[in-house]
This record gives sequence, C-alpha cells and structure tokens, in this order.
Amino acid sequence: MENEEMYQLLIKMKEGDEQAFHRVYDATFQDVYRTVSFLVDHKQDREDVMNEIYMQMWTSLANYDTNRPFQFWLHGLVIRQVQRFRVKSWRRFRIFERIRSFSHEESYLDEHTALMDGTNQMISQSIRKLTDKQRTVIIFRFYHDYTLEEIATLLDIPLGTVKSRYHAGLQALRKYLGNLPLERMEKINDY
Amino acid sequence: MTIERKIREHLHEEAETMECPPAISKRIEQSYSHYLQRKRSEITMKKRLIGGIVAAAILIPTAAFAAPVVIDMLTRAPMTSEQVKLDEAGKATLEKLYRAIPETKSFEIINASYLGDPNDSTKKVQLSIVLQEKGGTGKKITLHTNGITDEIQDLTQENWEPKEKPLITLPDQEIKGKVDQLIDQLYGNIKDYEVAMEQMDNPNQKTVILNYTKKGSEGEGYQAFVQGNTISLSPVAPTPSNSEVEGYFSRDGKPDYYADNFINDEKLFALLKMSPTELKEELAKGKSVVEVAASKNISKQQVIDVIARTQAEGQLQDGKNKVTISDDLLKQMMKEVEPKVVQIIEHKTETGW
Repeated sequence: MENEEMYQLLIKMKEGDEQAFHRVYDATFQDVYRTVSFLVDHKQDREDVMNEIYMQMWTSLANYDTNRPFQFWLHGLVIRQVQRFRVKSWRRFRIFERIRSFSHEESYLDEHTALMDGTNQMISQSIRKLTDKQRTVIIFRFYHDYTLEEIATLLDIPLGTVKSRYHAGLQALRKYLGNLPLERMEKINDY
Repeated sequence: MTIERKIREHLHEEAETMECPPAISKRIEQSYSHYLQRKRSEITMKKRLIGGIVAAAILIPTAAFAAPVVIDMLTRAPMTSEQVKLDEAGKATLEKLYRAIPETKSFEIINASYLGDPNDSTKKVQLSIVLQEKGGTGKKITLHTNGITDEIQDLTQENWEPKEKPLITLPDQEIKGKVDQLIDQLYGNIKDYEVAMEQMDNPNQKTVILNYTKKGSEGEGYQAFVQGNTISLSPVAPTPSNSEVEGYFSRDGKPDYYADNFINDEKLFALLKMSPTELKEELAKGKSVVEVAASKNISKQQVIDVIARTQAEGQLQDGKNKVTISDDLLKQMMKEVEPKVVQIIEHKTETGW
C-alpha cells in the first residue's frame, strides 16, 4: 500500500473506523509478527509485545513523520516496544529463569525451527545467541534490508555504535557457524 | 557464498514459516474494541460538555462559566429575605440546603429574586437565592430552584477553600473529592455515579469539567464546572440518544461538536424534510443551514423559530418534568436565544466561530 494511503487509514483508525483498523492490521500483522519473533523468543511475550505495538498505533500517531515511508514508522514502533519489553524482562529475568527451570516450558525453539534442516537450525540458534543489541541490528539489516544509517535513525543511536554492533554481531555469527561443514555451506541455496 | 547472503536468505526462509497465531490477532482486535468504547464515551462526554458550553455562552457572552441557565437573563423580580422564607419554593430550598450543609444556617441571604410568569402571578418559574457567610473566607452559595417542582436546578459554591489556595490549584483527586461531597450532601447516592473528569481548553483560566453519569442510565447525572475557587453544579437530564449523528461541522479536518446541540433537533429535520445524515452531508459541502433551507424554499426566520423554541423549552425542562409557562414568556426567551441560533445556522464548515 502507498504511504499516503496508509497514513489516511491510520487517521481513520484513530478516529474509530473499524474497517480502517482491519485494513491496517491485515496489511501489517505478518511483517510485525515475524519481526517480533526474530527479536523475542517466547510465545507469550510476543503476544504482549504485538498488542503493545498496535495500541501505540492509535495512540502515538502524532509523531508520524510523513517524510518517511510508513514502514519506517511502523518499525520504529516495533523497536520501541521490543526494547521496552526487554527492559521490563530484565527485571523479571531472575524469577523467570527460576520458574522456567521448574516448569516444562516449551524450548526456545518453536515448532517451525524443528522442521528446518541442520544448517538453518544452526543459523537460527546462532542469531539467538547474539546480544539483544547485536541481534536487533542484524535482523533489521538482513531481514528488512535497512542501511546502517537508517538503523541508526530507527534506534536513535549514533552511526558508529550501529557499525560496531553490526560488526561484532557478524563476528560472533562467523564464530558460531565456523563449525558448519564447509561444503554444505557452499551447496545450500547456492545458485 | 558469503555469510551475509547466507543470513539474509535464511531469515527470509524462516520468516515464511512463521504464522501469526490467531490468538494474537484476536487479542489486538479486542484492544481496539476497548479503545473504541472509550472513545465513544469520550464523544458523548464531549457532546454533553458542548451543551454546557453553549448554555453558558448564551448566558454570559464573556464565556465565564456560571449558572448555565438561560432564564437568568430575563427580567427578574427582587425578593426580600423575609419573602423568601415565606415563599413555598423558597422555604423548601432553604430547608434542603440547611439539611445538606448545616453550616449555611448561619449564612445571610444577600440576594434573592424570582422569574415569574407575566400572566400567572402564582407561578415562579425560577427562584434564585444567594447566601453568604459573615466573615470567615466569605463562603458563598447561589441556588436556582425550579419554582414549580422545587428542584434545585443549579448551584454555585464559592470560596470554600482559602483564597491563597483556591480549589482549582488542588490535585485532581482532591477536586473530585470536593465535588463528590457536594453532590452527596445535596442529592445523595454519589456511589451510584461514574465520573469522567477533563480539563477544558480554556486559555484564559484553568477550568475542569466533571460529568457524573448514573450507572446504567441513559446519561442522567450531574455536570460540574470547577474554576478558580468555584464549583458550579447542575443536574443533567438524560440525553435522548435518538439522533446518532454528531459532528455536523468540522474544523481542521476534525469533527466539530459545537453546533450539534442546536442542529440535532427533530423539528428542524421535519421542517427541512431531511434526515440528520442528509443534512450533515449538505453541510459538509460548505453550505450553511440557512442555505440548505433556502434551497427548499424555507426562510431563515422559520429555521430560527424552530430551533429557538426547542432551546427555550429545553431550558424549562427539569429532569422529567416540564415546566409550563405562558407564550409571552416563551417568546421572550426565544428572543434571548436568537443571536446564538443565527450564529449557528449561518456557520460554514471549516471556518472559525
């Protein structure tokens, strides 16, 4: 959808137009859910974060920058809510860890990762081992193809910081994936 | 292949396998419904608030809030404090007040007047009494009673707080507490009401409005304005929610509720032979109500008469009881409202008031 059209829909949604809400939701939920899933590991947490993101949509339309693509504003909301959740979850972290060791909570891996082949599972797990900060940069760089400058704007941090997180993230991934059999690395999806 | 490309491809592949669980979509949909409910109650609140503003604006062109009752503008006959005590409605009002706020027993009646029906000397349409404390902080209370039903239609309580720390400077919760107490003393059963409190866009003076709605009712309750060291309180009759149309005009692309209270008039729709929705559509094209009427060969005066009558009669509504007055007095009241009506029906959307 065009940026202008999306913006008009957002305005209508804020005014209470249910149809507009459904159109905005249908156009965005897949992208938002996938992005959140790459950044947040637990199912329940994903749901909470998603809900917060959409609530922000009808409350913080005021800071919408019409000079930038709609996508950019949307991802800004995603990032802010994911970060808010992380700050909160750090406080809960200890309790959470203890509860988890007692309960049989689902493993970090979702069903879909179980269906992936070994190499892809490796990459998935490697990305999850990154620090939150590195992981965010890696996901927005490779999944959404943002430039490092754009990521700096999105995260509201200096470009130098983004660069160092990006390189540190790549370094770490190289290290984790270094033990992949090389010929498989070459074969898979290499057209 | 490079690791960068590998990661990119992997992420896109993995994303394809991720499906958003329906439970999440359901929950977000619910969140939006909650938002809508809140928003709708805000709109009704706005609408009622605008009614209050319009009434106050009719009354006092300077737009200071006090006693939003039109009939204050009309000629009134003064009364002595003795006459008040002998008058039936006067006696009833004072008894009510003394029971509710015992300290007022020692107050002096400093002013009293009534609005009578020129054709029926026994009828007092409205009786107004002002009492003030001798000394102290100069506490003052003004009551307007419907002379036919003995109902206190409107009251203003001033200077209950010390001058150096007026009411409006207190935290919101405390302001609400004071208004709650006043309603409970005078009318009782405050716990049966829900309240919405909002600060109004009044650049000259901080003004807070509190709308009390009886739980489970159609909007029956009280409306209170707090400004400076004053609470102005009046019971609100249930608003008939037969007209679902609101925001007849717009301003800066946003709905403008200012005129709704005047235009949502069944008799006007009947006169124009239009539905509320049709009228709203015509106004949205930038026409005024007068122009819409002219296109149907209806004169400006006809439109004025219809709306002014509704507005004047509305002022005489007292909860469910309607006060009957003579035609002369009604005409007099309609004349008072006329300038306001003219302003509304000559207004065009997206222009300043």
